[in-house]
Amino acid sequence: MHAASRFPSYGAIWTWLVALLVVGLFCAYLPFGKALAIFLVFSVAAVKAFLVVRHYMHLRSEGVLIYAIAGLPLLLLIGFVLTLVPDIVFKR
Amino acid sequence: MTATARPAAVGGERIPTGKLAMWWFLASEIMTFGGLLGSFVLFRFAAGGWEDQAAHVNWRIAAVNTLILVTSSWSIVRAHHAVEEGDRLGAARGLLVTVVLGLTFLGIKAFEYRTELAHGFTPWSAPFWSFYYGLTGLHALHVLAGIVANAALCAVAFRGRGWERVGQRVEYAGLYWHFVDVVWIFLFPLVYLS
Repeated sequence: MHAASRFPSYGAIWTWLVALLVVGLFCAYLPFGKALAIFLVFSVAAVKAFLVVRHYMHLRSEGVLIYAIAGLPLLLLIGFVLTLVPDIVFKR
Repeated sequence: MTATARPAAVGGERIPTGKLAMWWFLASEIMTFGGLLGSFVLFRFAAGGWEDQAAHVNWRIAAVNTLILVTSSWSIVRAHHAVEEGDRLGAARGLLVTVVLGLTFLGIKAFEYRTELAHGFTPWSAPFWSFYYGLTGLHALHVLAGIVANAALCAVAFRGRGWERVGQRVEYAGLYWHFVDVVWIFLFPLVYLS
């Protein structure tokens, strides 16, 4: 693999992460209402996590096996949480 | 290719055993932290009144800690890059910065705990505080484990003896450290901002 493509600009990724941290803090205190603010804050967090996983953990250059190992527990987890949501919604 | 390699995907590159093992470990960690974070969200939805308790946590200190952890992710990925480039001292410096930043994170966290406990917010004060101490405490233990691993690698890197054997482990330590960073990236808004 070409060295330049294997190693992205880690400094640039860090700058994005810091910028997104500031954006996330800004979103948390916007006068939009709680639900929208929470949605924006977690969207920003998801982008930050994506940047770390893709560029710092080098997931973009990994094969199917690593994706499967990391993805299956995530899917299971989402399934478990979603399974319990009706219990809370209908209890209310 | 060493004897410690296993086949990866069909037609793909071989994955070193250590790396594969680290990803398996991280998969179990996803379930551990994910289960706790999911429980936090569900409990919060199920029982109201958590906002009053959550208002007492110090998001400014936590934001500084987020910056520290994100910066430590940068320093350890630089260390990994240095290993790939054959720059042992560069790797040692990257690891040292990561260890110092990790210790700073824990120091700030300890200060935060002390302040909260002094104000009477103990783990048994309310469900929010049980989750708060449980989640952040477990995360802090993971940071501590990462510091120990990084410090051990840093010592070998500075000394030089045995570096050829353990140099590749910087990548595995980095994977773990980045995972701890990702957990914090979600913990921060969940506990401090929502």
